[in-house]
Order: sequence, then structure tokens, then C-alpha cells
Amino acid sequence: MFKKVLVANRGEIALRVIRACKELGIQTVAICSEADASSLHVRAADEKVCVGPADAALSYRNIPNVLSAAEITGADAIHPGYGFLSENAHFAEVCESIGVKFIGPSSEHIALLGDKAKAREIVAGRGLPVTPGSPGELKSEQGALEAADKVGYPVIIKASAGGGGRGMRVVNKAEDLARAFQAAQAEAKTTFGNDAVYLERYFLEPRHIEVQIVADHRGHVVHLGERDCSIQRRHQKLLEETPSPAVNEKLRREICRVAVEAVKAVHYRNVGTVEFLLDKDHNFFFMEVNTRIQVEHAITEMVTGIDLIKEQIRLADGHSLSFKQQDIKLNGHSLECRINAEDPEKFTPCPGMITKYSAPGGFGVRVDSAMESNMMVVPFYDSMIAKIITHGRDRQESIARMRRALDEFVIEGIKTTIPLHKRILNDPDFQKGHVSTSFLERFLTS
Amino acid sequence: MSKRASNKSKKNKKPVIVSQAVASTQSGEGSPLLSGQQTKQIQELIDLLKKNSLTEMEIEREGLRIRVRYETGQRTMMATVQDPGMSVSSPASYAPATTGTLIEDTTGMITIASPIVGTFYRSPSPDADPYVEEGDYVKKGQVLCIVEAMKLMNEIESEMNGRITKILAESTKPVEYGQSLFLIDPTATS
Repeated sequence: MFKKVLVANRGEIALRVIRACKELGIQTVAICSEADASSLHVRAADEKVCVGPADAALSYRNIPNVLSAAEITGADAIHPGYGFLSENAHFAEVCESIGVKFIGPSSEHIALLGDKAKAREIVAGRGLPVTPGSPGELKSEQGALEAADKVGYPVIIKASAGGGGRGMRVVNKAEDLARAFQAAQAEAKTTFGNDAVYLERYFLEPRHIEVQIVADHRGHVVHLGERDCSIQRRHQKLLEETPSPAVNEKLRREICRVAVEAVKAVHYRNVGTVEFLLDKDHNFFFMEVNTRIQVEHAITEMVTGIDLIKEQIRLADGHSLSFKQQDIKLNGHSLECRINAEDPEKFTPCPGMITKYSAPGGFGVRVDSAMESNMMVVPFYDSMIAKIITHGRDRQESIARMRRALDEFVIEGIKTTIPLHKRILNDPDFQKGHVSTSFLERFLTS
Repeated sequence: MSKRASNKSKKNKKPVIVSQAVASTQSGEGSPLLSGQQTKQIQELIDLLKKNSLTEMEIEREGLRIRVRYETGQRTMMATVQDPGMSVSSPASYAPATTGTLIEDTTGMITIASPIVGTFYRSPSPDADPYVEEGDYVKKGQVLCIVEAMKLMNEIESEMNGRITKILAESTKPVEYGQSLFLIDPTATS
């Protein structure tokens, strides 16, 4: 097993990884920017190295400094968390070349699956359902027009190297396609440094369903059920649950089988997430594979009892999976609310000093956070400051628990998304499980 | 040993300069500078709290949020001010803790901090003399030390003329970004 792991991240996920390492008896190194020098994740680790100024490009994403930190502390592996360097194929490759284990898939897998158009082609080539769209990258306006005619309007143009809702354009009719194609190409070029775009049918009010998979170097792949991440704002997830109220046993078997086949097609290893769209008629389509641990991994841990971070570390260390598919039992229901330092109505970031912080607790409540009283929420990074995860025997119980936990949570000094979550949980449509990715829009304008 | 001496791939890096004056203004609680009128408004809020025996008050107007808290038990007062425009344009107001150690009785001294993460060496090879000793006069552009990062020797140069009053890091030991390496007295001339 690794002796010392450097955690190349900050906030709650850095703390999450440090905690897993402690349970495995592994020493930990935290990195921080100057803005985070007194953060909880820094104090929780055995050693710390400041790797740069507040600007993440010069600190958390600064490859030479992060690798030097691993070198001077003698770390034998790096856990990238999510965001920052977690899906940077170049970083994973440099780690491999200097003999520091990157805790995640190989650099080839990150590069291959990071190219969304290519990933679609591979999955479609296996006869698996992908969203109807252009076979690969769109080469010209004419090609875009032909592809759009074939799949039918509305269509969405996406950047091949994209993600996080950037570089997307929805087109309702053929007249608008040429301009949207050029705009999407230009935006893809400036945002991702690569102007490749593709298009697919744009579904109205779909659900976002994703499947957690774990894979070892021997080619064993196990799925850990689905997560429903339909509650989003600006293509960013806000509330997630598992199991999905829209997925029955038959659909679960089918969608999870497709997810396993998709990652087997590329001989993927370590943990990953296969994302699907589910339309109103319960047809599902492959969208993409995320090659990292995700923010919402905790709800899967609650219903399966599997510590995904520890599993990730073991897999990176060359161990085989410690369980088989038939060992996995999905137990009860779990819900996650992301608490962001944001205005709950306008979604504008709200950094500042947290004057009082008191987290909820009790049976079935888990809070993953690196916040505490008298802590500054700095304006340089992501606005998520805590995740509340509840677990219950069924959906009704985990919702009731979440409402109770949100009531207990005290965060003073800044605005958070807590009031918004309370409104969502009180909504009759949400309680019945009738949601889609446009739920929040509808909800907020009402 | 000879590893360092034989490595020809030398790169010059600009050191991070943190002057004493800047460091001391940054060592506060991170509140951006307030206009005279804002200070007056905050004082009025505090008076209002006291008069009405309130403990906390928050006012938001045109993107400026002021929150005042008055705790009678501890006799402490705290005001935090959030102005989105202001906090974006002055990120330096969040004081880096690594420069906090500078505040000694070394008035007028300038700190040379490491611009990268790596291993600190005072000499070009183990057998060679150190680049500089305490008390030496140095010129702008003169090499003060090496910070080795990823098998590259990065020479750290002085940004000014002056006298080395203190060497703060130990040779062959790791240094982090922003760690203080030297104190220089810029007023001293040879």
C-alpha cells in the first residue's frame, strides 16, 4: 500500500481523501494556496506545502509546484479530487513518467473519454444507445445542417472538449444553425483551446441519470447503481438522490448494463461515472463518462456501504476489486444537498466571513465540509462550502431527515442555498419525484 | 553531489518580493479599505445597536453588504464589509499567512520569498562556497541561492542592491511557495 499520499485539492474533498487515507494508515500531505493556509484540510494532514498564490492557475493547477511538493515530501501517490487537475491527461501522464501514482484512470483514458465526440462514437460503435446526433466532430456548416436534419430539431451544439455547461448552443430551426455553429466553434476555441464541436438532439425536460462504476486492472467492472441529478441550475447539479424515483428495477438493470459495457469497451479502470439522459418515455441515451470521483459520490456510499475513496486508492495501488456485482445490495435511499455560498435567488457568489457555523447531526445525517466558525469563504474558488447527505429506509424518510438537517444547519455571515433547498423539498412535484433538468427554472420563476 | 554541479539546465526565476510595509497592512482581518463615509455609516450602525440593546444587524444596498455585531459579554466589536466589486479587484486583502511571520523588529527590511516549491541550496554544489553570507552586500541581479524543482536548478536573484541581514532558510531543506528566504536591508550601501 502507498506510504504517503499528496492530496492535490482543497476544501471538503481534500478532507474527505485525508480521512480515507487515515483509515488506511497512509500518511497525508496537503497542498494549499496562500489564501487557504489556515484551512481545515491543511490542519488535518500530516504535512502541508504551500504551492502558490490565491489564483488557482498558479497554485492548485500549477503542475510543476504540485509535483515538486510531492517530490520534497516523498509522496508516492497523488489524489487529485475533483476539478483542478483531476481530468488533466497531461498531469496524469507526468505523474506516471516520474513514478508518482496518479489515483485515477490512466492518462490515455482521461484523454480518450475527455474527447466527448470520440467517446460517443466508441459507445455507438458497440451498438449502445447514444443521444441521436452527428456521428463525430462537425467539419462544416453544411455537415451540421445535414446532421441536424437527420436527428430533428431542436438540437444542441456542444464543444467536444467541453464540460460544465460551457460552449453549448441550443438551435430550434435550420435558419439559426449556421450562426450557432460558428458561435459554438469560437467559444469552444477560446474556452477549451479546441474548436471541435458536435451536435445531438435537444431533449425537453429530460432527467439526468448517471451510473457509478468501479473497475480494476483485471477487467472486472461493477456498477453501484444510479444517481438522479436532475435538479440543476445553469447545468450545475444542486441536489442528487439515489435510487432515482424514475428508475424501476427493469430499467436499472438495463441502464447499468449499458454503463458497464461502455467502460469495458475502452478497458477503463479505477472509478468513473457514466452519464445518461432519460426522456419522458423512459428511453435512455449515453452522454459521456466522467473520469474522476464526483461531488455526489457520497449518496452511493450511503446506500452501498462502500467507501469509494478507499476503493479508488486500493485500485490505483494495483489491488483487484474486493467485491463482485452480486455482493452489491442497494439499501434504502440517500439524498444530497449542496450548500453553496450563494444568493439563493440570484445565484451570485457570496464570499465573506462565516461568523457562526454549526453543522447538523444525528441518525442518518452526514455532513462533508471543511468549514468552521470564523472562517473566510474566499472568492477565488468554487462556491460549494458543504454537502449534507441523508440516508433513510426510503425516499420519504431521507427527505424528512434532510428537512430536519437543513433546519438545524446554522451558517451566519454569508448567504447560502439552504433556503432554496427547503423550498425544493417542500415542492409537491419534487415530493412525488416528478422532476427534470428544467425543474429549477420553472420553480424559481413561479 | 555532482548532480547539482553537472546540471546545466539552469533557469532564472524572479523571486517574490514582500516589503515590510505591505505585509503589515495585509495582516489585518482581510477587510478592504473603507471610505470615510462608510466608516461613519458603520459607526452609526454600532450606535444604533447599542441604543436599542441589539446584538446584530445587516444592511444591504447597491451590492454593498454591511453586517455589524455587538457582543456585550465579551466587549468586542466586529464589522465585516462585503463589496463584490471591491473584493474582486483587491484579492491581496486576504492576508497570506506565510508573510505573517515577517513582523519582527526589522523595520525597513525586505523579504525575499521563494517563487516556487522545491529544495533550497545556498551554494552551486556541496563543495562550493555559499552564494552569500549574512552581512554581505549584494547587487541587483546577483544570484542568492538555488531552489531545485523537478531536477531543475532555479537560480534566485536579488531584485535590488542592499545588504543581507538574515538568511531564513536552511540549505538542502525543502521550501514552499512564498517561504521567506532572505532579509535584505535596501538602504545599506557598500
